[in-house]
Amino acid sequence: MTQRIRSVVIVGGGTAGWLTAGIIAARHQGRMKSDFSVTLVESPTVPIIGVGEGTWPTLRSSLQKMGVLEADLFRHCNAAFKQGAQFARWTSGAEDDAYYHPLMLPQGFTQVNLVPHWLANGASRTFCDTVTPQGHLCDEGLAPKMITTPEYHAVANYSYHLDAGKFAGFLQRHCTEKLQVRHVLADVEEVLQTEQGDIKSVRTRQAGEIGGDLFVDCTGFSSLLLGKSLGVPFNSCGDVLFCDAALALQVPYDREDAPLPSHTISTAQDAGWIWDIGLPHRRGTGYVYSTRHTSDEQAHETLMRYLGPAHRHLTARKIAIRGGHRSTFWKKNCVAVGLAAGFLEPLESSAIVLIELSAKLIAEQMPANREIMDIVARRFNDVTHYRWGRIIDFLKLHYVLTKRVDTAFWRDNVDPATVPDRLQDLLRLWKYRSPWFFDEFDRLEEVFPAASYQYVLYGMGFRTEVDADDNVDTQAMAARLVRDNIALATQMRAQLPKNRELVNKICEYGMQPI
Amino acid sequence: MTNIVVLNSHTHLKLRVHARPSASWGDDQRFVAVVVGELPAVAMHYPIFFSKEADTGRFYCGAMLGIDPRENLFLEEHRERRLYRPLNLQRGPFYSSGPDLAIDMEHPRVANSGDQALFEGSGEPSVYLKSIIGLMNDLKPGLERTRQFIDTLLELKLIEPLSVNLTFDDGSRREIDGLYTVSPGAVGALSDTQVVDLFRRGYLQLIYLQTASLAHLTELTRRKNLGFLRADPEL
Repeated sequence: MTQRIRSVVIVGGGTAGWLTAGIIAARHQGRMKSDFSVTLVESPTVPIIGVGEGTWPTLRSSLQKMGVLEADLFRHCNAAFKQGAQFARWTSGAEDDAYYHPLMLPQGFTQVNLVPHWLANGASRTFCDTVTPQGHLCDEGLAPKMITTPEYHAVANYSYHLDAGKFAGFLQRHCTEKLQVRHVLADVEEVLQTEQGDIKSVRTRQAGEIGGDLFVDCTGFSSLLLGKSLGVPFNSCGDVLFCDAALALQVPYDREDAPLPSHTISTAQDAGWIWDIGLPHRRGTGYVYSTRHTSDEQAHETLMRYLGPAHRHLTARKIAIRGGHRSTFWKKNCVAVGLAAGFLEPLESSAIVLIELSAKLIAEQMPANREIMDIVARRFNDVTHYRWGRIIDFLKLHYVLTKRVDTAFWRDNVDPATVPDRLQDLLRLWKYRSPWFFDEFDRLEEVFPAASYQYVLYGMGFRTEVDADDNVDTQAMAARLVRDNIALATQMRAQLPKNRELVNKICEYGMQPI
Repeated sequence: MTNIVVLNSHTHLKLRVHARPSASWGDDQRFVAVVVGELPAVAMHYPIFFSKEADTGRFYCGAMLGIDPRENLFLEEHRERRLYRPLNLQRGPFYSSGPDLAIDMEHPRVANSGDQALFEGSGEPSVYLKSIIGLMNDLKPGLERTRQFIDTLLELKLIEPLSVNLTFDDGSRREIDGLYTVSPGAVGALSDTQVVDLFRRGYLQLIYLQTASLAHLTELTRRKNLGFLRADPEL
């Protein structure tokens, strides 16, 4: 007997639940007219944890596929453009120590690796400015497109900063009104299992028993289905990434038309780092720190010093960060997405992109029946394990390249015992060959492409040995690409409006579909 | 700089304007916004495209009068009144301000040497001003009707970008971006109900006028080539 998979039940609202519902429902619209259904069960009382306000450019295609109008995202979620992140004081700790991790790939990235050419030419300009105009665009507070650019199209690659609390409600309206997602407001009291250990249904207080063929656990940190019912343990990564707490604070602007940066600013501190994200109506800031290396009081003082005396009266909210992930993500007929799967410090905005990638994989690989579900689950677990591992490596990379020795936090971070083996190998490898294609970056949907590693490595002063003879074949092309980049930067700076100006216009006039 | 003020017969009794077409008075436009009411007349001579307003990104409908920036290849015919001159050129320095007629006092057409008076000595509007009032009565509701027409086209996904690549006799090429047209293929794929609806609203005719008008690009190219020929007899 093969049981067909026709009913997907997502437990938990929030960004993870609604984004997953939207991505699955959009992918299966055809079948939803007949026998396929997506139901989201959400507690009317449990508050939503608004994870991260930074996203990756993948969100553009996810939303477009769901049929969301991009202008509505700006209007209803206080969205703004994000073109990358600036990391300040991570390398030396000096006042002028900063580099960008932009979202645009280096010029001609698929044709030639510009790193060895940049190094051979003395690396006199920053790597970022040599290979992409985006650092200049961020410096000048410019938007990544124009009002005449069609929705979801970019002049310079971009994602969004957004109000995560509003985002979940926005997705909920879209999913229920446009994508036929069933919304049940009820508290889950019990998870009922079959003799084989599959989840049969969830019994709710308000809506009785809700059965399904595939359950998606989006219940946040509590991991009600995968963790509690199916007993999948949590693997901490606190030995690699030390930050385990955050103090979050929303800061108003001095004036309504204050400049709106189009990049996340991440400034290293004594025992962690402070995020600073510009939304149109307020800044979202927070200190992510290691409680082993500082106290809550000191952390509070650090955040206040960063914000300046004008904001002393504001009250910060403490959030516990439990870095790590479940030891498996899909077990039996239950798959976890979002915080229920795991969480990492928001250094590279990996939370929402991981939700998208997981939901997309579930939607694309939706098992036809229960019989083959275990095969799909195995493959899903392989890929997802790989992704979490890669993200942990990539986050650790930011810490391990520091030259700071001023506090124990930074000294402890470079201790080889805290660096994953794969990352240690890669760092050895990269001394002689810069990351590009053909090394580790062979997965179809790598969360952070080789370009991201290049920006961080060479932004933080890492050096790869270069053999000048090896550059000869591609020298002419590399020189042309660097010249193209200068021309492109000039053109974009002349053409692009200020970030705030464009966000205001989008809210007023909307965006064209073509 | 503009200085737009509401027109009245006391303050502006002696005001005169140049009504004649001239490049130096603002007729040097290669792309002029047009309204649906004038599309039948415009489509007789000029290619009609859709384009986006630089300031808002919104679509508008326009007649192409030239190839290069500030080039109007039909000035002579406009001067001799042999070809239709789009309302937005005819209006010269005049604007609407709510129910009132307004004028841009900084517009180069506003001058003592102007060929047209706005008012008779008695304060009555001149024949010329009456024609402007009539024109504005067409233009103002026309803008709203044009917006509805374009919104309908966008809703039905009938508009597509068109890249215009032209080669001239002097060997030069032009690639003009930012132009859009109704897609005949998309129109062909509409359902019967949608087609009947477009027909009843008068939009089907406008669609055919627009798509047929693109043939005038050949005429624009011919005129441009004529210019090269005059400039260089060797050619």
